[in-house]
Parts: sequence; C-alpha cells; structure tokens
Amino acid sequence: MNVEPVSRPFWPSFVAGVGSAAGLPSLVLMASLIGVGGLTRDIGYPMFAGVLSTILIWAGPAQVLLFGSIAAGASMPAIAIAVSLSSIRFFPMVVSIVPLLRGPDVGMGKLLLGAHFVAVTSWTEGRRLLPDLPVKERFPFFIGFASMVMAAASFATGVGYHLIGALPAALAAALLFTTPMFFTLSLVAGSKTQADWAALILGFALAPLSTFVVGQDFDLLVVGLIGGSAAYLLHRTRRKG
Amino acid sequence: MLAALEHATGGLWPYLVVVLIGFLPTEIWRVIGVFAGRNLDESSDLMIWVRLVAAALVAGVVAKLLLAPSGALAVVPLWGRAGALAAGGLGYWLMRRSVLGGLMLGEAVLISVGLMYA
Repeated sequence: MNVEPVSRPFWPSFVAGVGSAAGLPSLVLMASLIGVGGLTRDIGYPMFAGVLSTILIWAGPAQVLLFGSIAAGASMPAIAIAVSLSSIRFFPMVVSIVPLLRGPDVGMGKLLLGAHFVAVTSWTEGRRLLPDLPVKERFPFFIGFASMVMAAASFATGVGYHLIGALPAALAAALLFTTPMFFTLSLVAGSKTQADWAALILGFALAPLSTFVVGQDFDLLVVGLIGGSAAYLLHRTRRKG
Repeated sequence: MLAALEHATGGLWPYLVVVLIGFLPTEIWRVIGVFAGRNLDESSDLMIWVRLVAAALVAGVVAKLLLAPSGALAVVPLWGRAGALAAGGLGYWLMRRSVLGGLMLGEAVLISVGLMYA
C-alpha cells in the first residue's frame, strides 16, 4: 500500500533557503539598499516609507527612480509611468521562474507570493539552484531565500537612512554602484550560451541608442524586445546549423 | 489638486506615494507574469525568448543606471563608472568566476576614482 506523505517538508527547505541567502546575496542587497535609505531621507520622507518601499516595491532601480524623481520635482503620474516602464523586466523574469516554483501544492496564491519576491538576486539564484531541488522543496526554499534577503535589505534601508549623511562621498557613490555592478556580474555568471551573451551585450549597447531614438520613457521596452529577439534569432540559427 | 491631497493625507502621504506610485506600477508586471507563465513549458521556445528578453532588459537597466546616475553616484565621472564596471567584469574572470571578487574589484576602482573627484 502506498503511503502518502502527510507532512510537507516546508520548514527544512525554508531554512535551507535562508541559509543559502545568508552570505553574499544578503550582503549585496544590503549594500544596494543603504543608498536607497539615503535617497528617502534626501526628500524628507520618514524612515519607514523607505523600508516599506523595499518590502513592497522590491526593485532597487525602481526605488532609486521613484525617490530620485521626487527629488527632481517630477509629477506623480509621470513618475508612476516611468517606474512601471523600468519594471517591465519582472514580466519575463516571473514568466520564466513560475515553471520552477509550481507544484501540486503550489496554488495561485503561493505563486503570486513567490512572484512578489522576484528581483534580480532571487531570480538568478533561483534559476541556478531550484532545478537541482525536488519539486516540492522548491517553493519553500525560494521563499526562505527571498525572505532572508528582503529582511537584510529592509534593515539596511533603515540603517542607510540614518547613516548616509555621515559617509564619505566616494563610499556613498560605491554603495549606489552596487546595483549595476551586481546586476552585470549576475548576468555574466548566468550566461551559458552564445544567445545569453548576445542578449547581455545587445541590451547594454542598445540602451544609450534607444534612449536617444525613443526617449527616456520607452527606451527599455525597445531594448528588451530588440535585444532579446535578436539573441533569440541567434539561438535559432545556431541550433539549426 | 495634488497639493490638497498631500495636505489632506498629512503624515501618511509618503506611504501612499510608495504604494500608489512605486508598488502598484511595479507589482502589476509580476502579477501578469504569473498568469502568463502558469501554463508555459520551461523548455519551450517561447520561454527561451522570454528569458533572453529579460536578460536584455536587465542589461539595459544597468546601462541606464550608469549613464544617468542619481544621488551620490553622479559624483564619479562617466569614465570612472564605466571603467569600474569593466574592472569588475575582468576581476570576475581573473578570480576564477568569483562574483564576490568581481564586485570587490569594481567597487575598489569606483571608490578610487571617487576619491579623486569628491
């Protein structure tokens, strides 16, 4: 007779995810979000508004854009559109991680929770680590990983709020440099095929050109579609040849 | 109208901004992604295209953060920001594919250039 496992191993996998996030991923997120805490203070917002932005928005560039644009005096509807366009990457990122998270006991609610935790760090680490795990351990592992980095990042946002004014300018610049540097290294580390490299290089090279041609707002949309599609065409021709 | 709204909500205004102008415009893409990705096969061609579009978008975000920096990063000139990024990439390869190594070298170069200008 087959015995169904009555208890799902949620917590052991969750704890394994926390452990996997406790080193470099958390430190990188902390360094990135200290700068965001500083930007929150620059515009006269309370500390918890900055911390809330880390928990709810969970996208460094969108937070920088939000608080940076408020500092620059842009109108609220314009900022909302700019923030949304800068976050389009989450659509393909979530689409490509959902198949790794879903399982027999992972319903719609859990998928939406998992999707909220998707950011560059959890996406690259999730795509790297989840395929090697048994299906039912993936969701708790991912939630554990993401909760840990989010907790560390929220703490750093609060610390940055109080600390940023006391930092030397070069160090404050280095903290804001963490996001682009880490995003780049994550992409490089995750690039396995020629098509991956093409997407990386085209995305980078097309951005200034696209900003020049279509302007600040819709440039990333063009970069993603053209760069990603060109890389995909390379993938198709390579496979046939 | 916005000024009146800001006054009416008092101390809650910053939190409303975070939710309405920051959270909702970002979260919508994650929610749509769940609905779109729910029935897709991980190894399908469509998924490969989606993943490559995501990679190009992330690379594009990096380029924009470097070309139009906000706050303290603007202190460092463009050549310094680009040079630090290149140094970080080089460090990753030299230190046998170490993300930490690349990050440290990139940051060290950026701080060095920053000290010359700050």
